[in-house]
Amino acid sequence: MNHDDIALRLDDVCKSFGRIRAVDHLSIEVHPGEMVGFLGPNGAGKSTALYMASRLVRPSAGKIEIFGHDVWKDFKEAIRYVGIMAEMPSFYEYLSARKNLELMARLRFDANRSQIDAILEKIGLFERRNDKVATYSHGMKQRLGLGMALIGSPKLLILDEPTNGMDPEGTREILNFLKEKITNDGLTVFVSSHLLYEVEEYCDRVFVINHGRLIASGKVKEILAPHENVLHVTFHDTTVNIESLLHEDGIELVESLSNNSVVITLKNRDSVWLNKLLLNRGYKVSALTPKQKTLKEFFLSVTGENNNA
Amino acid sequence: MPNMVMPLLRNEVTKAIRTKLPYFGLFAASLVCLLAFVVTRETGGQNLNAWGYISLSMQLVFTDIGLIFIAIFSAMLIAEETGFRTVRTILSTPISRWEFYMTKVLTGLLYAGVMSIISLAISLCLGLLNYKFGDVTDSMGLIYGQKEVLGNFLLAFFLSWIPLMAVVTYGVFISTIVRKSGQAVAVTIGTIYVIDLTKHIIGIDSYIFTRYIGYPWRVFNQVAQGVDYQWSPEIWKMVTMSLIYCFVTFAAGLLIFAKRDFNG
Repeated sequence: MNHDDIALRLDDVCKSFGRIRAVDHLSIEVHPGEMVGFLGPNGAGKSTALYMASRLVRPSAGKIEIFGHDVWKDFKEAIRYVGIMAEMPSFYEYLSARKNLELMARLRFDANRSQIDAILEKIGLFERRNDKVATYSHGMKQRLGLGMALIGSPKLLILDEPTNGMDPEGTREILNFLKEKITNDGLTVFVSSHLLYEVEEYCDRVFVINHGRLIASGKVKEILAPHENVLHVTFHDTTVNIESLLHEDGIELVESLSNNSVVITLKNRDSVWLNKLLLNRGYKVSALTPKQKTLKEFFLSVTGENNNA
Repeated sequence: MPNMVMPLLRNEVTKAIRTKLPYFGLFAASLVCLLAFVVTRETGGQNLNAWGYISLSMQLVFTDIGLIFIAIFSAMLIAEETGFRTVRTILSTPISRWEFYMTKVLTGLLYAGVMSIISLAISLCLGLLNYKFGDVTDSMGLIYGQKEVLGNFLLAFFLSWIPLMAVVTYGVFISTIVRKSGQAVAVTIGTIYVIDLTKHIIGIDSYIFTRYIGYPWRVFNQVAQGVDYQWSPEIWKMVTMSLIYCFVTFAAGLLIFAKRDFNG
């Protein structure tokens, strides 16, 4: 693949702060037109990796390219079409949202100042555009942070916890807007988030890091593909006798969800076999479906800890 | 790629005109000019000409209150951006770190220049109210002609900017190494005053740039009084020491800023 065809490429990137290795031989590729989630427990090195891609932090080793341009050797070209939103974005609080966006527009080669009102509309701050940012709520500041990243029609957005502190309605609005930009304008989004349901619903691929290392990656659809050997069974009536089912050779685990619903994990058997077994035992099965995987399960299984992403 | 210093400088001006500190500094400098006018008029102002009043007024402004405000303004330039983390937003646009740093220094110099011009304009206006511009004379007749006085006045005015440049680069340097604006201001003002108070005791007086801040106006004051004046060799020391401080603090600050990680 030509490097120009890769929106963001981190190649064997390392970063140490004294003795602490924040990012350890991290390699990531984000392709144009996709929305990629970046997950990891607190302190996993997500923000450091994003800051390195924004040239705010200098890598100890490795190479970072944006649309084929080296971030350190050819920064201006590399960053030209990139919008970046840092975690907890900061502004000149004594200025209005509009003025903050105007200042940003001056620093973007391709920014059009008429874009500002359109962005203010999109992020839902048009009514309050002339108010000082100091009077804004946390959620409004998050929206403005996204607005700043959108100045200059970027092709790649690097977002660190963009919906942190936003209300559910606002979060959905923003994510739908991003999805629309991806579909209509071919925008690429690389987003770090601890809200797994957001990533699950909106991202095409995910990268999971822990202790600075990439520990898992893949397409969300594949990760969330239903379990073949874990089945969700709903019965018409009776309380299920878990004990008796556990004695069956082909059953590894039975978890009770309610009086008439269980999750059964099979050993080298399939749903047809289980259906027959349950019918033979006299259970009236109303539904037998492969259990849907969740990103949370995937995340916990790869990080091996009950931490937040 | 276009150079981004000018757009950045426009942003700096936009921000500065919406904050109170620069106005407060200009107001304080204007007040000093007015105080100098009142005091000189009350205490033997009849022997003073307009040039004498201006040299006194400008000396007072820049050896004290002007110096403080220029140092405060410069010390806040980068520390404020680092402390409030707005530096992350700016540096993640197509802005080189040297462009950002250079712009901050230019902003400090611009403020020093504006303060210098406003102080001079006010001094000139006040001087016109009570004193005469013209030849420097005494009872024996002409001492220095108007042309010579005007030449020395312009020389003093432009030379007085050189040590102010060192104040700005020193303030921006401290602003780079101290991440909070309040602390950066305290360190800048504190170090300037500690060095100023101890430089005579430890014999480094002539190597400290602050010594030269009012020097051009002191020489011009001699012109205005009609006494013998001498620019050389002290003025060369002033230029050399000030430019050394400018270069060293600018280079050190830029180097530190260029290497710094902004992950906090």
